[in-house]
Amino acid sequence: MAAYFQAPTAYSRTALPPLAAVSAPQHLVPPSDTSGTIMAITGVGFTVIAGDARRGDAFGAYPQVRFVPTVFRLTDKAVLATNGFASDGNIFIKKVRQRLDWYRHAHAKDMSLHAIALLIQSMLYQRRFCPFYVHNILGGIEDDGSGAVYSFDEVGSYVRETCRAAGSASTMLQPFLDSQIYPKSSQPPTPGSATHLSLARVLALVMDSYKHAADRLSHDQIGDGLEVYIVLSKGTSTQGLNIEGVSEVTSIPGGERIFLLRRSLA
Amino acid sequence: MFLTRSEYDRGVNTFSPEGRLFQVEYAMEAIKLGSTTVGIRTPHGVVLAVEKRVHSPLLESSSIEKIMEIDEHLGCAMSGLTADARTIIDHARVTAQNHSFTYDEKIKVESVAQAVCDLALRFGESVHDEEAMMSRPFGVALLIAGIDEVGPQLYHTDPSGTSTRYDAKAIGSGSEAAQSELQDKWHKSMTLQEAHILTLRVLKQVMEEKLDQHNVQVAQVTKEKGFEILDETSLKDVIELM
Amino acid sequence: MNTFVQRFSTTGALSEARKAKALAADDEEFSDAAWGSEAGFGNIANGVPTFAVPAVPDPSAFLRLHTDDHADPSCRIKIQHGTTTLAFRYKGGVIVAVDSRATAGSYIASGTVKKVIEINPYLLGTMAGGAADCQYWETYLGIHCRLHELRNRERISVSAASKYLSNLVYSYKGMGLSMGTMICGWDKTGPAVFYVDSDGTRLKGDLFSVGSGSTHAYGVLDQGYHWDLSDEEAQELGRRSIYAAGHRDAFSGNTCNLYHIKQDGWHFLGNFDISKMHYEGPGDVPGSFGKGYGYDIRVEGRSSANPPPAAPTTTVTA
Repeated sequence: MAAYFQAPTAYSRTALPPLAAVSAPQHLVPPSDTSGTIMAITGVGFTVIAGDARRGDAFGAYPQVRFVPTVFRLTDKAVLATNGFASDGNIFIKKVRQRLDWYRHAHAKDMSLHAIALLIQSMLYQRRFCPFYVHNILGGIEDDGSGAVYSFDEVGSYVRETCRAAGSASTMLQPFLDSQIYPKSSQPPTPGSATHLSLARVLALVMDSYKHAADRLSHDQIGDGLEVYIVLSKGTSTQGLNIEGVSEVTSIPGGERIFLLRRSLA
Repeated sequence: MFLTRSEYDRGVNTFSPEGRLFQVEYAMEAIKLGSTTVGIRTPHGVVLAVEKRVHSPLLESSSIEKIMEIDEHLGCAMSGLTADARTIIDHARVTAQNHSFTYDEKIKVESVAQAVCDLALRFGESVHDEEAMMSRPFGVALLIAGIDEVGPQLYHTDPSGTSTRYDAKAIGSGSEAAQSELQDKWHKSMTLQEAHILTLRVLKQVMEEKLDQHNVQVAQVTKEKGFEILDETSLKDVIELM
Repeated sequence: MNTFVQRFSTTGALSEARKAKALAADDEEFSDAAWGSEAGFGNIANGVPTFAVPAVPDPSAFLRLHTDDHADPSCRIKIQHGTTTLAFRYKGGVIVAVDSRATAGSYIASGTVKKVIEINPYLLGTMAGGAADCQYWETYLGIHCRLHELRNRERISVSAASKYLSNLVYSYKGMGLSMGTMICGWDKTGPAVFYVDSDGTRLKGDLFSVGSGSTHAYGVLDQGYHWDLSDEEAQELGRRSIYAAGHRDAFSGNTCNLYHIKQDGWHFLGNFDISKMHYEGPGDVPGSFGKGYGYDIRVEGRSSANPPPAAPTTTVTA
């Protein structure tokens, strides 16, 4: 477990890490920000969860992998986006899915969104003394049909919000989202003061945000593919979804519907 | 050629050649010595009623506790070795609280019944290097009443670790007579008050003493108010309606 | 509790055994609690949850290395800090007021944080320090208060609840938890406020404020506080104190959440925008004077830009 964190303090991109440095615990450094940006916005009866697919290596070098999904469908009404250290993120997603399966076996039903949110808090806090280096955003549809976004810090504190951006471009995008989602820019957002935009408008916001963030940020921070999940509550119309690259990924018809939009950020 | 029964009823972890676990069966017998306990499910809620055996005029009847709360939406009534029920109910309460701590929702009635049965099976069992948790099966059966998203439900759990869902169920010493009475009288669209009256009528038939508000206890779980034990005045009202 | 000290100690036979075990086996986060005979029923079946600890000689130093932004501003995991919270008791109950800003370094990570944790209908906890530490342990406290209620057929006292929390976090002392909280409620003894922090301090008192903006809040609170405040005055004092902290402390601000605990439990009184309170006041609420707390007072009337007219020369008539 601690091996994740055992990396040399500095080495050049081409050189292999000296073995001694890898095994010596006094050289522990945490994983560096491995780039990528995630975001989620919710409206009336829908939630949009997005993430880009570029990964730098652990030391801020040139992007080594060009398609690494960071947004994961958990159920037909819940999508989890992870940002941070990719290995921790992948393991974490696997663990969340495992818990969802156990829950289904024990209680013969699917977990509701707020239940998943609290579960993620417990799971992150379980590693309070050895944190998963991941920032999570959970989006989806609550049992009452409303859209919801939950954002988490690395050790599990969380809050339900209307919109949230995290990752390399978060300081760039969050103020922009605030300006669009919360009514007056002169006023700080307060709970319940969000304006609810249409799905078409939200999708346009998300795609524009990524496009322009990719233009402004250095190439190892953001780019390549963009994956956007759209979760619709039962009965919400698909208006606004008739755009290129959208495919439906719903597993059980008749309930919430879930769509995936793939775009290139090149 | 089988050995006599007595050679296979010593250990909790030895089957007899006929495939029986005598200690578990004996534990079930302990329930038949217990006071009669009745549960009825209606579309509006679940009613539980127990007989309190007040063997002495010096006994303070209010100190006999045979119906307990598990959580707001869950209650249970017991019959058999009631001391064993304390362990079980505490387990059920902790399980219910753990569930709301981890998932921010009320636990399902079925899941609580399942948790109780999991505990019931932990006799003679040791996990890894830990000591065995219990040396014998529980000697108590429970009627678990509750409401969740599925609706009002009544579960019966016994020392063998089996849980079964019932519309109406009687356990304890008078259970056979009581169960056939329930089978006659129970119908799908009972009101809560009809259920109150039916439980008490059933108890009255099997009780030796004259039924009054001191020697029975009635509780209900409803959607509106959750679990509640009827106080003596409302119990008296029901008895008058009988 | 002692088992925790042993579990996390870095010297001694037990810790050696632990290290050996960690080397031999993969980290077993769930043990048997998460499935098998307790399938899916939660992770705290054995009383206190179990936590993964890094397999390094000094786990708390390891954690500090990655999370303490005081020691190292470039640390990777920025646990959110910065806050103003206050609670005081008076004859009419307890007033709890908090700001809503979360900062990670100099970035305002959120302006809509809920820093009052509703433990149950009679108990509130405030949040300062690590957000996750407060959220997690106060939720955990909540289920134990409920179990206390079920087992003893009466509500837990504020004193007992705070003691429970205090003992809990004390068992993790030195592990890097960060929590400064006020447990507030109304029990048999009347209104009660206890301060509990992750160092193990637990204090009973009438008036507390915690967080980076607490000094500013205390300034207003102390000059306005007395036991016989009316409900309106008390609510206004709580709001006004948070405003002062939000105004002067860069790490506090955005909005103020106000709660009042009475005999029948807590009541949420509202969310007040701090910059709006500066210019226009809290709005039409009990205790409000109907004007801004800051702006007009600073610009109206006499100032260097608007000096008093020269004193008129008066002649004294005999």
